[in-house]
Amino acid sequence: MPGAVIRARGLVKHFGRGQSLVRAVDEIDLEVAEGETLAVMGPSGCGKSTLLHLLGGLERPTAGEVWVAGRRIDTLSERALAGVRRRSVGFVFQSFHLVEELSAAENVELPALLAGCSPREARRRAMLLLERVGLAGRARHLPSRLSGGQRQRVAIARALVNEPLVVLADEPTGNLDTAATLEVLRIFAELRAAGQTLVIVTHDERVAATADRLVSMRDGMFVDDTRLAAARPRGLGGLLWPED
Amino acid sequence: MGSLLLAVRLALANVRRHPAQAAMLLLSVTVATATMALGLSLHGVSDALYAHTRAATAGPDVVVLSGESGPEVSAALASLTDRPDVVAHHGPYRIVYAELTARGAVASPVVVHGFAERPGPVNRPLVTDGRWVRPGGTVLERGFADALGVGVGDRVTIAGRSYPVVGIAVTAATSIYPWGAQIGPYGGPSDYTGLAWMTAADARALARSRDLPVTTAIDLRLRDPAAADTFRHTVPDDHPVRVFRPTFRSWQFTAQHDKVILRNAQPILVIGGWMLGFLAVTGVATLAAGRVAEQTRRAGLLKAVGAGPGLIAAALLTEYLAAALAGDALGLALARLALPVVAAPTASRIGDAEPTAGAVVAATVLAVAVAVLAALGPTLHAMRTATVTALAASARRPRHRPLLNALTAPLPTPLLLGLRLAARRPGRAVLQACTTATTVVAITVLLTVHAQRERGYGLDGSVALPNLRGLHDRRLMLAITVLLVALAIVNILTFTWTTAMEARATMAIARALGATPGQVTTALSAAQLLPGLPGAVLGVPLGFLVYLLFATGNSVPPRPSWMAGAALGTLLATAALTALPARLAARRSVARELAAEAA
Repeated sequence: MPGAVIRARGLVKHFGRGQSLVRAVDEIDLEVAEGETLAVMGPSGCGKSTLLHLLGGLERPTAGEVWVAGRRIDTLSERALAGVRRRSVGFVFQSFHLVEELSAAENVELPALLAGCSPREARRRAMLLLERVGLAGRARHLPSRLSGGQRQRVAIARALVNEPLVVLADEPTGNLDTAATLEVLRIFAELRAAGQTLVIVTHDERVAATADRLVSMRDGMFVDDTRLAAARPRGLGGLLWPED
Repeated sequence: MGSLLLAVRLALANVRRHPAQAAMLLLSVTVATATMALGLSLHGVSDALYAHTRAATAGPDVVVLSGESGPEVSAALASLTDRPDVVAHHGPYRIVYAELTARGAVASPVVVHGFAERPGPVNRPLVTDGRWVRPGGTVLERGFADALGVGVGDRVTIAGRSYPVVGIAVTAATSIYPWGAQIGPYGGPSDYTGLAWMTAADARALARSRDLPVTTAIDLRLRDPAAADTFRHTVPDDHPVRVFRPTFRSWQFTAQHDKVILRNAQPILVIGGWMLGFLAVTGVATLAAGRVAEQTRRAGLLKAVGAGPGLIAAALLTEYLAAALAGDALGLALARLALPVVAAPTASRIGDAEPTAGAVVAATVLAVAVAVLAALGPTLHAMRTATVTALAASARRPRHRPLLNALTAPLPTPLLLGLRLAARRPGRAVLQACTTATTVVAITVLLTVHAQRERGYGLDGSVALPNLRGLHDRRLMLAITVLLVALAIVNILTFTWTTAMEARATMAIARALGATPGQVTTALSAAQLLPGLPGAVLGVPLGFLVYLLFATGNSVPPRPSWMAGAALGTLLATAALTALPARLAARRSVARELAAEAA
């Protein structure tokens, strides 16, 4: 597939050994095109989250290859993998995983600072993103003083701060109530409209319905791969970083 | 009984689950109690060794010495034996002041006692090697022979005459080496001096050969040995012996004088024991604090199934108390092994050394205190938490600190994370600072001890024969410092690992966002190093103050560059040590750490 942001070939991930061997991901091939929104669905324990971790370089595969933006990452050193995560990938987790010691703004700044951005520029980006997700007024709050929905919006802002090639979201609405879920869906819809590549692991049909493509997983394998018909405008560049 | 069984069962399960923590508590308490028991036993053991030597050598109750010699002096001293309170005696005998050279190089002042070939009823030196004096041969006091490195069959030169060493012996009539001369020539002050024996004829010939100074002494046994200290006051002013300005040395005086060599050893060991105990508390308390959530959940579970406060406290404390008492037993056993060497730096006394009852009690109190101080906080917290809350207890969340946040915001990311992590546990940061300060205090005292100039025991203060007291102090101080540094290393590793475990979610998130293992390691190291900085700065003056508390007036401070080096070296070592557990923590799988946090 031309223009693939993510490509996986013969991807395998096993945990344990012998009798207790678990084939979390079993011979998966996958390509995600630039600007595509891919939803991965399946029952609990089918390997969705492991697949996401493999694609983002958080886990190393037992076998197979993972390519991000044309660069093979499964053979990279930990240091080089850190560089890929910092520049090419943004993560959104079900449990938010905000750094409890840092304020909302500092959490959003964190990947930018790690990527070598100046503190001033990192703060500018963080404030802009927090404004986009409706949390400018909570920038100085610690995560413990934010609601679940607010935390997830901070996490989404953080995932976007380095303009990643792809955002990998693991059950982004799994811990949210209906109102917060709708707010997150609105943000994802904006991202999709802006051409951001998204891979979303979800149990939620509402989230899956916003995707361009839906793959179903069972026992570590893809059992279905469906292109959804929803047409949407493309190429709304500048949504995230309007010209100064 | 059932409650006890449950408490023991839970304690054993905890030990199996946290073997490293139990091992650390055992190690810390062992070294602290061993040191404390050694320090507190020193004087008692010194007394016991003297008493044993006195019994084995028919030690006199009083030794009366005169700076002069001759028939009149001997007669005057002998007249003391006519007193009704004197039941036996030895002497009068001649004491010759000379120089002894061994192995052709090592020279020392020596006093030669002229004794009969068959010792009398009082002051019968115990021959520990070889045989007693015979014409032409000399017997050396054991402590002196040890210092000289001389044994039976070797030859020594006394006042230019060569003598074979025919025996090695101990006596309770004189103080331990190097205080063998109880008075100096002509009754003046004495230098560091060894003791040798010859036959009375050989001693007389030796004195005449070079016209050497000679004094006279007599050993007395009293009807009431306890009255030895006051014997001199009962000799009237018009007694013939008063003409010759006698010096009275009671057995109590000699026993007390034996402890001069231990004057610094006791504070070194006792204060060292307290410092080791303190480090033990800080290390174990850190580990215990790292298990607060687990302990609280355990308490909640016990409450839920109907356990009362007593059982809960017993279940939570038994593990610590059992390990501490095991460490105490081990420490006391080690103290027993080390006591003969530590309490008797010279070989002048014989006998077995046992920790005193007081020392055993104090060491056990220290062990229990370490366990209780380390575990009491988490135990009380667990007991006070409501059952439902306790069942869902999790790691403490950080508090909002606007000022700290504002001050640290401009820092590079690893430092910022490190500072925020340190601020999350201010109590631990204080303990970390105290650990560093304790280490620097010990190193500073060690450097100060080494900076002092000491007179050797050789001729004219030559260091060919080292100053045993100074050597003993330095060795003890070195041993204590090594133990303190070892415990501090264990503590630093514990602090870092505990912080790394508590911060694993934070660090996993940072890594998921692109932080390299190096940046994560730097953050964790910074979290340990920053509290250590004030500790290192404070440790230097505190160490010098501790030394001054026990120093004599002419103490020499160590070079400032040494002290600065100690502080800097401690900080660098801390940085290096923190890097290891931090690096190990940074290598854990990010995905699994995140999954564990989410669970």
